[in-house]
Amino acid sequence: MATADSISEISASSTPHGPGLLVLLANMPAEDLQDVLANLTTSYPAEGLIVATTDVVPTESWPNLRVIPIPETPASWTLTAADFLNAYHLASENNARAILILGPGAASLRPSALRDLGDAVIAPTTDLALPCYDLPPHVGLVNSAILYPLTRALFPSRARFPLAIDLGLSLRMAERLAVAAQRFTTVNQESALIWPNNEATVAGFVVNEFAVGRREIPQPTETDINAILASVTGSLFADIDAKAAFWQRPRQVPPFRPPAPQAPAPDTAPDIGPMLDSFHLAYANLQEIWSLVLPPHSLLGIKRLSAASAASFRMPDALWARIVFDFLLAYRLRTINRGHLLGALIPLYLAWVASHFNITASGTDPERHIETVAATFEAEKPYLVSRWRWPDRFNP
Amino acid sequence: MQKVLAIMLQTLPDKMTQPVYADNASVWHHMSDALHQSVYRVLTLLIAILPGILALFVAVTVFTLIGMAVSALLRSGLSIAKFDDYIARTRANGDWAPATSPTAIIARAAFWAFVLLGLIIGVSAFDASYATAAVLPISLVPYLTHAVGAIFILIAGTLIARFLARSVLIGAVNAHLQYARFLSLGVKWLVLVLTAAMVLDHLEIGGVVVELAFGILFGGIVLTLSLAVGIGSRDLVSRSLESHVERAGEHVAVPPGSASPGPGETVRHF
Repeated sequence: MATADSISEISASSTPHGPGLLVLLANMPAEDLQDVLANLTTSYPAEGLIVATTDVVPTESWPNLRVIPIPETPASWTLTAADFLNAYHLASENNARAILILGPGAASLRPSALRDLGDAVIAPTTDLALPCYDLPPHVGLVNSAILYPLTRALFPSRARFPLAIDLGLSLRMAERLAVAAQRFTTVNQESALIWPNNEATVAGFVVNEFAVGRREIPQPTETDINAILASVTGSLFADIDAKAAFWQRPRQVPPFRPPAPQAPAPDTAPDIGPMLDSFHLAYANLQEIWSLVLPPHSLLGIKRLSAASAASFRMPDALWARIVFDFLLAYRLRTINRGHLLGALIPLYLAWVASHFNITASGTDPERHIETVAATFEAEKPYLVSRWRWPDRFNP
Repeated sequence: MQKVLAIMLQTLPDKMTQPVYADNASVWHHMSDALHQSVYRVLTLLIAILPGILALFVAVTVFTLIGMAVSALLRSGLSIAKFDDYIARTRANGDWAPATSPTAIIARAAFWAFVLLGLIIGVSAFDASYATAAVLPISLVPYLTHAVGAIFILIAGTLIARFLARSVLIGAVNAHLQYARFLSLGVKWLVLVLTAAMVLDHLEIGGVVVELAFGILFGGIVLTLSLAVGIGSRDLVSRSLESHVERAGEHVAVPPGSASPGPGETVRHF
């Protein structure tokens, strides 16, 4: 998907005074595409939108849309480097003022949600419009456990979904993301993940979040969670490592955002037995590897956790925050092979999920618990900064 | 008469002791000669191989110094060129990620390559100087060259064994296999036994005995592992196959240790 033109060449030749919004659509079934186009027409009835899609769209059915065919990209459950590079090239070529990227399953988004994201970036006040999805309580747990708290603690932004698959981008934001993406596409890593929130925060751009309601989240094409977790977490860890000079400085965190309204938790809690079995099995076998990564205090916490019964299984938020920070540090220091490192994190993540289910089953609102975890990550940030700067210092 | 007796008394002891004294002197003389000859031979041998030893030390020292310089140059050059970042980008989704940075690996590899080169050249020089000067055949010299290769095989085998053992251990734990440690140990010893056999074969020690012992050990470990996995996880394998057939075409990112969702609810990690 990556074209041969470099970003600098395009930015020199492009004029940012285009007519309006470019909408880049991911690969999706024909009926979904019809729904998305209908929603777009509802959102922007009188404006000439430019819609870029890989599918064939009869232009007579959508007279107020200008449809641009684009070459097909490899199917992905999330946005990749190739998508961001493509978006910027298309926007530059068509003199668009802003970009709206809609990922797979965007047919489930309301027209008002599309309007909110699009309007935010057409207006010069916002560079990155991120959606806040209203998901069921047991969906997107990796995001709730690792991606959101870590991003919020290190890049002062309360974006609930840093790896969102629907985005509004101003032209300068798209250019920055394209530059970041081009570093990967030039080495044939089109499917690499890009972290728009981190890029925007480092660049000092304005990030706004919009509640978009319920959305159908696509399943990853990869069935093995070990591979996906390693890929996503590894990508975030690498991005954090690359931006260490930025996040080590203290910054003001945006004001508290009240948790988004969520669907009520189901009456029957999931069975946490298999997760706990996995954690106990890992505790019996992976201590040697964990001891290379975690300090004695965290190992002691894990030991106490392993002795807890299923009903009283609660992982302290501070312990989880330090575990993630220590794994991040080990990723940076290459204490052990990175594939092994991220593999050793999975049982601990499952332990957190089991603990989260127990806490929510006891009556705590899931979203409130996730906010508490994220706040703990913020509070524990000095620990990470200290260890990042002086990793060899004694750490009990 | 007295003179005769006096002469007898004087000469008899002389005649009695003289041959004894003459025998002792001869033994000591012979021993001394033998020792002198041995020392001479040792010194001659030492003098003959001294240039070779000197050449070996000089070659190793010079190439070690060159290796240090090249390593430092490579380290600084690659750091300036941000080689680590480039590799991180190109291997962003790669399964293999070394425990140390690529720059450090290349710098170390260059250093040890020069050390190895110095050793090879030194040993060659030693071998050549010895062969021209030596009279006696010696079986130790070929081992020197083979020993270097054997050491590298041993180091590589140990590293591969540790890497594979950890990979298997983590993979087996995440696959929820109860005998993860046993499997990991089995793989580790398989590789170590293979390495040991290769090292002995490289050093030409043991001959057929090593091959036979290796075959028995390797086969024994594989059989043990097969039996353990086959018998121990019969149910797991059948369950896995059944669920694979049932879920063919579905894409659910749920690990084996994850919760099994009840009716009307889903647990999704992504």
